[in-house]
Amino acid sequence: MMNYYDHFILPFAIGVTVLFTVILYKWIRWFVRMPQEDRRLVLRGIPTRQTLGAIGEVFMESLLHRRIWRVNPLLGYMHTSLAFGWFLLIAVGWVEASLQLPGEIIPLHAHVFFKFFAPEVDYGITGGLLGNIMDLLLLFVLSGVALAWFKRMRSKALGMQRTTKHVLGDRIALAALWFIFPARLVAESATSGLKHSTTFLTGNLGEWMVNTFGTEAIMHFSVYAWWFYSIVLGIFFVAMPFSRYMHIFTEIPLIFLRRYKVHSYEKAKSFDRFQIEACSRCGICIDPCQLQKDAGITNVQSVYFLRDRRYNRLTQEVAYNCLMCGRCETRCPVGIELNTLRLNSREKFAAMPADNRYAYLSSAADRSSGTSKVGYFAGCMTLLTPKILRAMDAIFKAAGEEVWYADKDGGVCCGRPLKLSGEVEAARRIMDFNRDLFRKHGITTLVTSCPICLKVFREDYHLKGIEVLHHSQYILRLIQQGRICVEHGHNSFTYHDPCELGRGSGIYEEPREVISQIGSLLEVDENRENALCCGSSLANIAINDAQQNRISQALAHELADTGADTVVTACPLCKKAIARNASQEVKDLSEVVAEALGQ
Amino acid sequence: MVQFGYNISQPRAINMDKNDMMISQKILRTMPELQTCIACGSCTATCTAGAITSFNFRKVHTLVRRGEYKGAYEEMNKCMLCGKCRLSCPRGINTRGVVMLIKQELGEYR
Repeated sequence: MMNYYDHFILPFAIGVTVLFTVILYKWIRWFVRMPQEDRRLVLRGIPTRQTLGAIGEVFMESLLHRRIWRVNPLLGYMHTSLAFGWFLLIAVGWVEASLQLPGEIIPLHAHVFFKFFAPEVDYGITGGLLGNIMDLLLLFVLSGVALAWFKRMRSKALGMQRTTKHVLGDRIALAALWFIFPARLVAESATSGLKHSTTFLTGNLGEWMVNTFGTEAIMHFSVYAWWFYSIVLGIFFVAMPFSRYMHIFTEIPLIFLRRYKVHSYEKAKSFDRFQIEACSRCGICIDPCQLQKDAGITNVQSVYFLRDRRYNRLTQEVAYNCLMCGRCETRCPVGIELNTLRLNSREKFAAMPADNRYAYLSSAADRSSGTSKVGYFAGCMTLLTPKILRAMDAIFKAAGEEVWYADKDGGVCCGRPLKLSGEVEAARRIMDFNRDLFRKHGITTLVTSCPICLKVFREDYHLKGIEVLHHSQYILRLIQQGRICVEHGHNSFTYHDPCELGRGSGIYEEPREVISQIGSLLEVDENRENALCCGSSLANIAINDAQQNRISQALAHELADTGADTVVTACPLCKKAIARNASQEVKDLSEVVAEALGQ
Repeated sequence: MVQFGYNISQPRAINMDKNDMMISQKILRTMPELQTCIACGSCTATCTAGAITSFNFRKVHTLVRRGEYKGAYEEMNKCMLCGKCRLSCPRGINTRGVVMLIKQELGEYR
């Protein structure tokens, strides 16, 4: 055992000890604090196929970083070379050390400093081969480090317009990481040169070093080189659990927990920590953020939000300044539930709800009209855009559908805006009022023309026995059943995916199918999952009118670029926002359908 | 007497010298766009909560601006944050932000 000790391994040994102590402490703490039902999900999930799936996903994501390859191949290569390359260096290095080092017990650290402890570097039959493989792997990792340096100077070449502005702790860890592999190359080369290794990288470089500077100088130098290598490793390992590099060890349990169906929720809980600390601050979420691109707000993006929340520095300004459009969530390579985390961070800032919040609802008159199994909930925003209401009326009439109008003469908000502002408990009271109203009138189908209402009806109302449809789905169904006929004209349309309808509720196809029955559809560049937000999102209470307008301008510009005669959307709020800046007509899907109604 | 549905407000005067304007000024500093409010009442006319209750955003905001904080928190708590007022505001004031701000600043006046 003592054969494998030298003073210089101390920084490394201390680093590794700190690293694993802190990580174990964090993991156990987060797991113990998880609510009972979450822990039950995990225990029930372990003996299922999900565990195998998670192992596969850990390999694909934590090592190969498949999702980053989709963002940009060069960026993907950079992450793969660093993560998978380092993993292979450890795995192959361990094989090399256990095959070639003498002694019964080979301590775990011996492979890290293998070349220092090995009596002869190219020892035995496998020695030369393994040595060359290790050199190749080191070169693989070094190419990633070189790309990382290059990315600091020209991030655009790696597909990123903007990169994260790091805090001091991250910068220290980053600097240590950058030095680890060059330091390893230099230290191994020096020792290889002294031990006359013939491997292609460290062997040749070592030979050149010895020939140039002399054996004496390199002998002295190699001691410092190994010390330096050990110190940068130690610094990195100590910094790791407190910096962005905690993601390396947090993403693994996160993948397992996610496979066991543990999710974040509108109220903060312990599982959130797994998601928050799994953020690598790669900054891929910055480019898609329209607040950054159009409104010039640069400190609220998901990467900064998660960082502030992790270090308990989250301010109300950052928590509330988010459109919750979900564009970053679809790109996040770690798959963090960014919208949910943003939402459940708001509760602590929301004013304490008084006990009698919305007590007035109990005496509110029932202002609904009509009787039918089919209910129509216009929603506040539709009531403010009466053209949509009239168009829906025309469609109902053409289809011969008897409708119960929940709120045609004024109703109660669906509760989602309140929930989005963090007042979850208060929102519940509003939701209960509407749900009781739906139950009282015995509807079996609920149609709404507002995607915001749609999302909350589906997710929070627990309307068992009532089918909740967005009007795009309902209209498509009417057309398919032949209950209404639409005439195909010569107009060209472009369609804007509302955030709450597309990314929020997964409805992309129905509106497009309806439009294609009426005219030709011209797609914008960024559509479906990548669609832009109109800027008026109710989730953002922080930005002012001018900032909203700039986001809307950018969207209107992109929609105009399609050259379509009419912009169609399926959300009254989006319609109003786009119409502010659009050069062509902006219509709701229902208006387009109502105008094309044939006999 | 014939009731036309109108009534006369009780005469009252606000003594701005007596009122504590600290919070009012803080609200204005946080959201300077409030200075552009023309008190047109569009917010109140479209208000979802206002249709069911006596909640009057324009009135509450105006009173708070003049340092009359009593009851403002309870009144603002009637708001459902639906956002119609923000869309109808001719000055583009972030009315939902105003509701949140007034509630936060006046929580202790409950």
